[in-house]
Amino acid sequence: MDFELSPEDAAFRDEVRGWLAENRDQIEHVRAVNWEDGGERFERYREWERILFDAGWGAVTWPKEYGGRGASLVQQALFTDEYVRAKGPDRINRLGLNLLAPTLMLHGTAEQREAHLSKIARCDEIWCQGFSEPNAGSDLASLRTRAVRDGDDFVITGQKIWTSLGVFGDWIFVLCRTNPDAPKHKGISFILCDMHAPGVEVRPLVQINGDARFAEIFFTEARTPASNVVGAVDEGWRVAMTTLGFERGTGLGSPAVFNRILDEVVDLTRRSPRDGGVAADDPDIRRRVAQAYIETRIFELSSQRTLTRLAKGGTLGPEASLTKLYWSEMEARLEELAMDVLGPRAELAKGSPGAERNGDWYSEYLYARASMIFAGTSEVQKNVIAQRVLGLPRE
Amino acid sequence: MDFDFSEEQYLLRDTVRDLLRRECTPKHIRALYDDPGGRSPERWRKLAELGVVGLTVPEEYGGSGMNEVDLVLLLEEAGRSLLPEPLLEHTAVAAPLLAHAGSEAQRREWLPRLSSGEATASIGLASSPFVADATADLVVLERDGELHALTQDRLTLTPLRSWDGTRRLFEVTAAETGDDTRLAGGREPAHWAFDHAAAATATVLVGVAAALLDQTVAYVQQREQFGRRIGAFQAVQHKLAETLLLVESARSAVYYAAYALANELPDAPIAVSVAKAYASDAERRANYEALQLHGGIGFTWEHDLHLWLKRGKALEIAYGDADWHRRRIADWVYATAN
Repeated sequence: MDFELSPEDAAFRDEVRGWLAENRDQIEHVRAVNWEDGGERFERYREWERILFDAGWGAVTWPKEYGGRGASLVQQALFTDEYVRAKGPDRINRLGLNLLAPTLMLHGTAEQREAHLSKIARCDEIWCQGFSEPNAGSDLASLRTRAVRDGDDFVITGQKIWTSLGVFGDWIFVLCRTNPDAPKHKGISFILCDMHAPGVEVRPLVQINGDARFAEIFFTEARTPASNVVGAVDEGWRVAMTTLGFERGTGLGSPAVFNRILDEVVDLTRRSPRDGGVAADDPDIRRRVAQAYIETRIFELSSQRTLTRLAKGGTLGPEASLTKLYWSEMEARLEELAMDVLGPRAELAKGSPGAERNGDWYSEYLYARASMIFAGTSEVQKNVIAQRVLGLPRE
Repeated sequence: MDFDFSEEQYLLRDTVRDLLRRECTPKHIRALYDDPGGRSPERWRKLAELGVVGLTVPEEYGGSGMNEVDLVLLLEEAGRSLLPEPLLEHTAVAAPLLAHAGSEAQRREWLPRLSSGEATASIGLASSPFVADATADLVVLERDGELHALTQDRLTLTPLRSWDGTRRLFEVTAAETGDDTRLAGGREPAHWAFDHAAAATATVLVGVAAALLDQTVAYVQQREQFGRRIGAFQAVQHKLAETLLLVESARSAVYYAAYALANELPDAPIAVSVAKAYASDAERRANYEALQLHGGIGFTWEHDLHLWLKRGKALEIAYGDADWHRRRIADWVYATAN
């Protein structure tokens, strides 16, 4: 057991830190706008991704041939940590970078990797995830979007929903039913599809915080070459489970993000009036702040344990559900604490006089509620943990 | 960065686990419930032979010269098997404390014997009015913030009785302290001892909680109601999934606390409080769900479950309960932030 950084890792961290400091102005320039607003504002984030890519920071663990620098998992964690501390802009292509790319590295063909990895890293292709359907949410395997082989193509018809970045997407990885006669987990394929192809229609969905970050995607006989199937035809469920493993295990919850939220909440407690003093004087608030400290600290430690296991060649199977359940519920408690600390001001919305951070706390609180739903609801994670980690019987 | 144990550390854990599986079963523990001594010298001797009893004593005094990280997996096993002997008081606290703060004369006199298992030591801190295993040959007792190393001839003890029949608690009704018994270093040794005791208690709690969870998972796999195993019910599955998450997360915390203590890191006291607060809550939840899911059978004296329930309850509270440690963390957060 050793929490010291090796000289190489320490040098790596210093390099990241130095580069981010040199680019502080650019970071602030990008962060001054919201990518959700689209147009030039979205493009500003794309340009930032290219700056990252050109400097070799776009996807640090990837091999050099795809624009990475062959960094270790520990170094990737260090990069993310520094990036979050430096308030680096949102990574708009995170679904491509964190979900599809590692899936292609495991299950994709050489041609698929060649065709997409560098473009993902350069943000030439923004990727979306086509898993959920109106009638296939927690019961994902009951999905009905179908893909039918026609010559060298698959022809896709159906509907996907809750598609993050849908309105900005160039490509989508879609779970499709390719064999309607097989048991529900066995007739599914994992297919890559160009969202600009005829027959693909995107309709934005406005979220409860007013953002249009997700969309519905309608496929009406959209064609994609059969060479775009990842893994074998009808065996896409297994591929999708790897993707979900990345999403739940390492893709979304970064300890640095929660540490930053905690720091901000602590700062808020010092400034927020409560009972003639400030929230930081209230023993109940202090108790919750302490619990938030405990939970964020343990998340950091558990992430380091997971990292060690992966670095030693271990894999993250259904245990990824423990990670997802932990951070999503912790995030919700953190944001709820922020709401209570803000007190009556919590409900003041964007544009209102007196709104702390222009109403962003409320928006973040709402996103924390979404975190307990996307990438598998808390209830689904508990089913996975009970049945596949503890070995309890399926109903 | 390496947050894992070495092969040697796992090997020693497995050796101790095997020994305790054979010689520290509920049957053995129940046999000690009615025994006023309540300890198995035979089992303690075997642990001493494995080097476990003297694990934290420096090699120059005949010990294994190992540290908190080497001990942490063994404390977890002690919790899992409900080891009645004072691995926590003796090996995790009193022996390394003497090495840390004792005079050269005290070290020479006591450490070789504490390491071989020939003599035992315990610890009595101001956080509790009672001292566990106070009949030990040497008791390190807190008085006015300072620690005194006292032999039995300087102590008057009144035995108490715990609901956990394996605990041997005493009230110290009189203690002859003097300049010759005081450990040097002012108040620092008492803080050192408290942090080590709290971290070790948190670790034992993780073992207790893991054992409660394992037994409950096994029980719901075989108990049938409504024509099926109750472990197939989602209401049952979710309780156990949540408990597993708490126990696994507590592990991260107690392992790091051991590392922070072993390396005397500046954040060690906070790492200890994180571990004790979280492990106490995790064990409390495991304790709650274990009895709830066992139902009536778990409420009987005959069933072994209550052995774990009672040890867990005692240790949840010992060396600062979860809220006590949360207060310490809050004070630290507000003292250091910005």
